[in-house]
Amino acid sequence: MPDQAQKLSTRHLLGIKDLTVNDIELILDTARNFKDVINRPIKKVPSLRDITIANIFFENSTRTKLSFELAEKRLSADIVNFAASSSSVSKGETLIDTVNNILAMKVDMVVMRHPYAGAGVFLSKHIKAQIVNAGDGAHEHPTQALLDAFSIREKYGEVAGKKVAIIGDVLHSRVALSNILCLQKLGAEVMVCGPTTLIPKYIGALGVKVEHNLLKALKWCDVANMLRIQLERQDIKYFPSLREYSMMYGLNKQILDSLGKEITVMHPGPINRGVEITSDVADSTQSIILNQVENGVAVRMAVLYLLANQR
Amino acid sequence: MNKLLIQNVTILDKQSEHHNKVADVLIADGVISEIGKLGTSEDLKVLDGTGQYLSPGFFDMNVNFGEPGLETKEDIESGSLAAMTGGFTGLALMPNTQPPVHSKSEVAYLVNRSKGNLVDIFPLGSISRDREGKELAELYDMELAGAIAFTDGDRPVNDAGLMSRALLYSKGFDGLVMSYAEDKNIAANGQMNEGVNSTLLGMKGNPALAEELMVIRDLYLAEYNDSRIHFSTISTAGSVDLIRQARQRGVRVTCDVAAHHLVFTDEMLSGFDSNYKVKPPLRSSSDVEALLVGLKDGTIDAIVSQHTPHEKEFKDVEFEIASNGIIGLQTVLPLALKAGLSPELIVEKLAVNPRKILKLEILPICAGNDANCVLFDPNAEWIYSNEFNFSRSANSPFLQQTLKGKVTMVFNNSKKFLS
Repeated sequence: MPDQAQKLSTRHLLGIKDLTVNDIELILDTARNFKDVINRPIKKVPSLRDITIANIFFENSTRTKLSFELAEKRLSADIVNFAASSSSVSKGETLIDTVNNILAMKVDMVVMRHPYAGAGVFLSKHIKAQIVNAGDGAHEHPTQALLDAFSIREKYGEVAGKKVAIIGDVLHSRVALSNILCLQKLGAEVMVCGPTTLIPKYIGALGVKVEHNLLKALKWCDVANMLRIQLERQDIKYFPSLREYSMMYGLNKQILDSLGKEITVMHPGPINRGVEITSDVADSTQSIILNQVENGVAVRMAVLYLLANQR
Repeated sequence: MNKLLIQNVTILDKQSEHHNKVADVLIADGVISEIGKLGTSEDLKVLDGTGQYLSPGFFDMNVNFGEPGLETKEDIESGSLAAMTGGFTGLALMPNTQPPVHSKSEVAYLVNRSKGNLVDIFPLGSISRDREGKELAELYDMELAGAIAFTDGDRPVNDAGLMSRALLYSKGFDGLVMSYAEDKNIAANGQMNEGVNSTLLGMKGNPALAEELMVIRDLYLAEYNDSRIHFSTISTAGSVDLIRQARQRGVRVTCDVAAHHLVFTDEMLSGFDSNYKVKPPLRSSSDVEALLVGLKDGTIDAIVSQHTPHEKEFKDVEFEIASNGIIGLQTVLPLALKAGLSPELIVEKLAVNPRKILKLEILPICAGNDANCVLFDPNAEWIYSNEFNFSRSANSPFLQQTLKGKVTMVFNNSKKFLS
């Protein structure tokens, strides 16, 4: 385990925005140790014994929730899970009331996913417990960005100088924003690529390259991070059909082989096979999608462990 | 006899021969009895007006109270108190109530409820029945009952045909239609100004385009019908340009800007503080600059508070479901000063022009006239504490802050307020 004296600069993990480069490196280094731990025959450590964590999900999630739960269990934390639909004044209990009800039962940390941007920031101003943002609207998903950076570092030795293309529905993606911020802090070059209607008008001001041609993006990059099409988050139609999307932005083996170089393919999951990525790509040796899933547990263990040190 | 002597005060009133002069002003029984170099006597209450300005009472043409139906946000008493302490002697009330002010009865109710108060209240009637944007409300009947102009409040009139008919119909009795310019389909579910900051916060943007498209539409409609039109709370550089150009080609257009749009940009939203969630949204610094230029060159006629009270339950929630608006009646003067406007310009935009647009008379600050005036000190500081917030609501980002620019006295309808 890393030196106890090494601490994060923040009490909560609300977004990559609030992390320093040192924070990110500390989390990634700590995660490497935890990855060793979860590959041992005895996968559990007592680090978070006596700490109670509530996983509060106001939006459906299977893998992020499972990943957090496993990370918590492997650190020996006590956990409770709470799934609810997001509410407003007109529809019942407020967010603060919901969370305070859970905290009244003596909970130390809250892992929250919420459909609205800034929900974690809002909550952090009203409650005492530490908060880990597991995704807030189209704002941030910091642990996903951290595990993506971890996976790139694992594959290439370092993130600095790498060219990463984030491809797909950037407009509705929290993964995209957190990834851009995290990769830039670590010294990578970032490009976003997708249909013109799914790229925010002002994203170039964040210092990323903007491309609308998939082939050009792939030729430029070392790593292609394929985003999921978030149909459930699109209140109106931004492109005519999935078929047409797939024609323009679907990654298949033929394109991949035509590049004349080997790039790494990532995806935050769950993948829509045949839409943004074909099966032969997802299952190819160039894909590190399942490594990302494994690394997710280690990174979340690191985050929870380091935040617990901050109490 | 009730007598008040204000000594050594600078009078700001272009209608008065005392404009920009320092003098003593004696107000007795609600009437300005003498102006000049005056002596004191035993029966006088004396105020030192050194460094202070005496001008016609402020008039706010964009105010939301909650009567009828939403009294827990604000009622006439609480709202009038807030207005008075902010220096206002007259208000135009938005029809955003339940039921909306869309017929003679709501107009008459508001007129009767506020009769004889220090703060004169002028209801604004809805353009459309139920504020639904479908068919015209009884505009003429409301005008007769005391409606001062017509607007659907915070709901833009989506139907161009309806807006055109409203402009044409009201022209028949010289009524004024006010437009809240926003194209709903372009604004979509935008939570804040579209820009770098909305991208960084992962929030849907409400682009300047949404406002400007509607400004263009309504300028064309007003020009086509040869009607007067007033735009409420414009917020973008593009809107200022469009209105400036329209005026040059002879369109009879006026407009106002909310005080908070003169000071704040969308950077204020970085902490997701819903007290900065307003509509139109806070824009970029180049928009703020253009608005200030527009005020100074006369394109923008008036400053409003866009006072919009909301209970804690509607504001202290996740940003996306928080209601739009801040309470502003008590903070317009400090904000206008903070924006760098001179006392003289503030008086023009906050007291004179709103009444001109609404064709309301105000008596000059001259001996013999009824007193309708405000005394303010642009350099005095005060703390906007909870105790000094007279609104029923507390959705202001300025609470607990020290503000510069204080209202020290207000006089109207033979009633006075002394801070």
